[in-house]
Amino acid sequence: MWAFVLFETLVFTSYFVVYLLFRAQHHELYLQAQANLDLRIGIFNTIALLLSSWAVARCVQASRDGAYRSALTNAFMTIFFGFVFFVSKVLEWAKEIRMGNGFTTNEFFQHYFFLTSIHFLHLLIGFIVMGVVIYQLWSPKRRSQELVETGATYWHTVDFLWVLIFALLYVVR
Amino acid sequence: MSSAFNTRLLAVWLLLSSMTLAYAWLDHSADDEMIRPSAVVTVSAIAIALLKVRIIFREFMEVRHAPALLCRLTDAWVLLIAVCLLGSYFLGMTIVN
Repeated sequence: MWAFVLFETLVFTSYFVVYLLFRAQHHELYLQAQANLDLRIGIFNTIALLLSSWAVARCVQASRDGAYRSALTNAFMTIFFGFVFFVSKVLEWAKEIRMGNGFTTNEFFQHYFFLTSIHFLHLLIGFIVMGVVIYQLWSPKRRSQELVETGATYWHTVDFLWVLIFALLYVVR
Repeated sequence: MSSAFNTRLLAVWLLLSSMTLAYAWLDHSADDEMIRPSAVVTVSAIAIALLKVRIIFREFMEVRHAPALLCRLTDAWVLLIAVCLLGSYFLGMTIVN
């Protein structure tokens, strides 16, 4: 899983490099387009994902200690906070599209929709991964600490990739 | 679940959330009525994000308990991302100017 984490990070970093180089070419356009994003929504989304990461870290620890009921509760909390991010992101996309900021509006929004969509896809895969973790934790016959930790590592990757995307899309000038 | 570990995870989450909220202050202090270009805001935003990534690696992903190789590898990765992001930002600005 760690090879995947480092590879994914490299792939996203390559895209960030392209984004920053394009951004420098049309600085004013990017700043004007960026002004349409609501930083408060970005902060809310980030905190929701950080909460999910916190919950999955607790899930790993509880499972390691043999506290499987607590592990399951934390796995469900992870999915819940991930779902909060999911809904918030969909609403944000809808808001931007209503404001006339679609994928083809300008270069900034092309990067915005591309990056957030690719990340969203990772989130959807994360839900499946957490579903597998819950399935494993449910029955004593299936429990595997290695699988719980692998699932958690994937979920944390979804979290820290968003931390980078958020800084680059909403905050950089 | 050990309460010490539980408390540590909560403290880490609070730290990461505080760093996220710091973006609001950074954003507010950088602009008056319109968004302006700012290398200080850009470097600060990237630095905060990378620090958060490193904290997630070490605390949430438990790299601090992992073999030294993984510790060094993840630190090297954070450094690599820093060089790529800051390098491309400043390179892009230099090419344009």
